Amino acid sequence: MIEAISRRIGGTLVTAILATGVVFLLIRAVPGDAIGEMLGQSAGDPAAEAALRAFFGLDQPIWSQYLSWAGNVLRGDLGTSMRQGLPVWGIILDAFLVTLQLGLVTLLVAIVVGVPLGLLAGARPGSLVDLLVEGFTLLSLSSPVFWTGMVLLILADAWLGWSPPLVYTPPGISLAENLESTLLPVLALGFLQAGAYAQFTRQQSVALLRQDFVRAARARGLPARVIFGRHVLRNIAVPLVTYAGLILVQILGGVVVVETLFAIPGLGRTLLAAIQGRDYPVLQGALLLTVIVALLVNLVIDLAYALIDPRMRGA
Amino acid sequence: MPNEMTNRRSALLAGAGLMGAGLLRPGPRGQAWAQAAAVGEGDIYGPDDPQARRGGVLTIAIANEPPNLDPFHQAGDARTAITVLMYQGLMFEHASGTAKPLLAESMTVSADGLTYTFVLRRGVRFHNGGQMTSADVKYSYDYVRNPANGSPGAADFGTISEVEAPDDHTVVIRLSEPNASLPMTLTNRFGCVVPRDTFSSPQARNRLSQQSVGTGPFMLQEFRPQSHIRMARFPNYWRQGQPYLDGVLFSVQPNAASVLVALRGRRVDLALLARPQDAEQLQGQAGLSIVSAPSLRQCSLDLDSSHAQLKDQRVRQAIALAIDKKAVMDAAIGGKGQVLGTVPAAMQESWGAPLESLPFQKQDPARAKALLAEAGLASGFSLDLIGIIGFEWMDPAAVTIAQQLAAVGIRLNIQRAELGVWLNAFRTRNMRFTFNDWGTQPDPHSLFYRHFRSPPRGADFRNWNNAEADRLMDLGMASADPARRKEAYLGLQRVMDETVPTILLFSPDLVTVSQQRVRNYVQHPTGWWFGLAKAWIAA
Repeated sequence: MIEAISRRIGGTLVTAILATGVVFLLIRAVPGDAIGEMLGQSAGDPAAEAALRAFFGLDQPIWSQYLSWAGNVLRGDLGTSMRQGLPVWGIILDAFLVTLQLGLVTLLVAIVVGVPLGLLAGARPGSLVDLLVEGFTLLSLSSPVFWTGMVLLILADAWLGWSPPLVYTPPGISLAENLESTLLPVLALGFLQAGAYAQFTRQQSVALLRQDFVRAARARGLPARVIFGRHVLRNIAVPLVTYAGLILVQILGGVVVVETLFAIPGLGRTLLAAIQGRDYPVLQGALLLTVIVALLVNLVIDLAYALIDPRMRGA
Repeated sequence: MPNEMTNRRSALLAGAGLMGAGLLRPGPRGQAWAQAAAVGEGDIYGPDDPQARRGGVLTIAIANEPPNLDPFHQAGDARTAITVLMYQGLMFEHASGTAKPLLAESMTVSADGLTYTFVLRRGVRFHNGGQMTSADVKYSYDYVRNPANGSPGAADFGTISEVEAPDDHTVVIRLSEPNASLPMTLTNRFGCVVPRDTFSSPQARNRLSQQSVGTGPFMLQEFRPQSHIRMARFPNYWRQGQPYLDGVLFSVQPNAASVLVALRGRRVDLALLARPQDAEQLQGQAGLSIVSAPSLRQCSLDLDSSHAQLKDQRVRQAIALAIDKKAVMDAAIGGKGQVLGTVPAAMQESWGAPLESLPFQKQDPARAKALLAEAGLASGFSLDLIGIIGFEWMDPAAVTIAQQLAAVGIRLNIQRAELGVWLNAFRTRNMRFTFNDWGTQPDPHSLFYRHFRSPPRGADFRNWNNAEADRLMDLGMASADPARRKEAYLGLQRVMDETVPTILLFSPDLVTVSQQRVRNYVQHPTGWWFGLAKAWIAA
């Protein structure tokens, strides 16, 4: 078990390092660099341009830039943002915590809403409840997040005369204000993911109900409640946890839109701004973090299987 | 770049107030002239308000976040809009189009136009506590003009040969050639004064995102990227009793709809609308005041004179004649702006050539076709038109222009470029045929020189390479006499109209929306936040 975990962690690191190398090359293949934004349309003095480029080390060959960056990363230093002049580690950690909170709360909403709906529908396929749930799923999955977010924003304004606070407040400072600023983004993202969760849960339980052991249980005369509680739910738990991991990674990767819409200073917007401003250190740091987090989430899920399903403990 | 927008009425009022203040009197060296500030300082940034109440934090929504708050190393308008509250230059870019003394008390120019003498304002303190002296001014201007320090403003200071500090309160600037726009150069874009040795350590500029070191009415409290910028009143500001506000909070709202919702929900006190046409959605809303005014921003089409068919001047003229600017503006921003000739709207009165005096400003498809036929392109041709992703007005404008050009036989392929990629093409003088969206300080030299003067003195981004235009721009720069200066720039505009390196389409109106409790806020035509220095909040 421990050997398996350490092998996974080792693999994770190798993947992360390879990924940064690819990102390093790709982002430099795009025309323009951090100097472009600084000069704007005031460019035109070659000496000043060269001085700026030298200041940021952009005059060095790419391989040397990469080696010095990678060397610093191994020493725990992610560098300094070219745009903001702030340490990259602080920028991405602040942003990541915001996004992580958003992601976890959204996941919670998706599970609390989606799983019961999916189970209700899955228990009696073809029933009225099933049809209603299917309607909900269809609506949620076909509404893009930016649209849902915009509609929520406008409805809250028009019906309740309420609008989200202007500035995001971290939960450590005021939980109430934090909830106020994350309410709409969580609802917008949660609406989509709850639909996805309901659909997944329904499919899983319908498939299980067709399994031989369920038919056997039925033949033994067990009541439907017992069959569902003892057999279906237990077997469905593993795929549901897997799905939670998938959804969390998907949420973390896809929050750019809601973060932009609701002015939430999370990792998505930080990444977007870094791409637009060609802020290589922030970009690389943020992607390194994202890759590591995605791989860690998968690792944790694999470990969770072992807890839920005794059959996997040996693996 | 994306500039925002002014309050015509208030700007005019402020201008009227200052007209009496800019005293012209013979200086000690013959035909010199000086501007006295003692009378006028109350009008810098806007009028004083004897009824003003102290206190309160004003909340402002901004669409574009500055990457950082370094007054020397960041050219973007988003940066300048905000740093003008923390950093000040010797001069102030007054809405009327002239530079007025700010940290200087007076300015004297020698008869040959080569020596500028500034007497500094007394009792000016930096945010870090120190007194401002001439040594700080010398340090700041020597820093910014040295290209090795990498300031995008370095080229503006290129005519300065020497900055001297003969005593604590006098600064003498010597030029290698006359430059009538020097006072405008010493304003708040790159002409800020910081304490000497601010940049003595190589990483010092990084600290400017956490701490301000200027002399302005507000000091930086907190800069949280992607979220907000908080500033507090500077208690030792040189103008006693000001600012009236305890602080300001800029909140970054990347989405135009969120700004409207926040204005309606009274979450935000003040905003400039990124899309002037959004004003309609707020009309009639109780408690909101909406003021619109001409801006210094220009939405334009740039034509690279070294690109494909655009090499032929007749083709560029034909494109100019094929376009109906009013129709483009209606499609792009719902008509909420001013159609332009050869300068942005807020400069038309002071510097612009009358539109009817320029032969290539009025749509004339028949003449356009004739010119194309003369150029051997009677059967038409195809051309790529480049727009920038994120600049919303460019998409509807592109469609309208494509229709107008199709009528004379030019088939447009509309393309969109990411801003970073576009800037790179622009800077390397490879712009081809593209939309542009940029702003200026209210001065013709600032507007034209860098963009259109051929290298090495300018950058001539559009590969225009026009000797007559170069001569006129140099003449405008060297002429101290306002009448001769204006004549030079009128001549330049005629050359531009005829040879078409750019087609200025329209200036979107500067629409300022504020809650009723916001008092005495005057919007500057640059779209920068100068007015907050005089604004106050009613109980």
